[in-house]
Amino acid sequence: MRAIIYDVVLIFSLFMMTLGIIGIWRMPDVYTKLHGASKSVFLGVALMALSATVIAEDSIIFRVILLILLVAVTTPISSHAIGRAAYLMQERMETPGAVDESQTLVKDQDPTWRL
Amino acid sequence: MHEIVFYIAMIWLVVLFCVCVIMIVRSKSGLVRVLCLDTLTLVLVALLMVYSITTGTAYYLDAAVVLALISFISVIAAVRYHAEGRLF
Repeated sequence: MRAIIYDVVLIFSLFMMTLGIIGIWRMPDVYTKLHGASKSVFLGVALMALSATVIAEDSIIFRVILLILLVAVTTPISSHAIGRAAYLMQERMETPGAVDESQTLVKDQDPTWRL
Repeated sequence: MHEIVFYIAMIWLVVLFCVCVIMIVRSKSGLVRVLCLDTLTLVLVALLMVYSITTGTAYYLDAAVVLALISFISVIAAVRYHAEGRLF
């Protein structure tokens, strides 16, 4: 029973990570690629770490909890640094209908889009 | 059943790793490369985690912790040097 639960959670976490990678592959922009990298992939790894509590013994569970706390602290910091660097380097927003309130990153901004 | 899911998970994580490598090679912008490198390290951490949990050996998780720390520090250093021209 425990093995079946572990298998189901593992497959679901792989599905989540795959969604994140597809998001990074398909999104047109650094700012939108950050969504897939910072949320979906991290949530897949966290779910995979959660699946260890079903089947593994204590030494593995403690190390996995330490690892996932570490990744949960460091992933938002690194994605914020990447977004800030993209803003500082004046990286263009390629997404259709992108709204930039500083008026510097989107060149031909349609004023009627914002309603 | 259990072994089949383990092998499928390992093969699929290797496929995701190869997709990350292809994205690093093919991307135009430098920041996208840094982003894909961060994702690649998370995929590698997940690979080590699956192997360690399934086979019951705890030693690979130490390597995963060190890998996550090195990835964080290298992403911060690369991004700051790329955008601002300085590290500190």
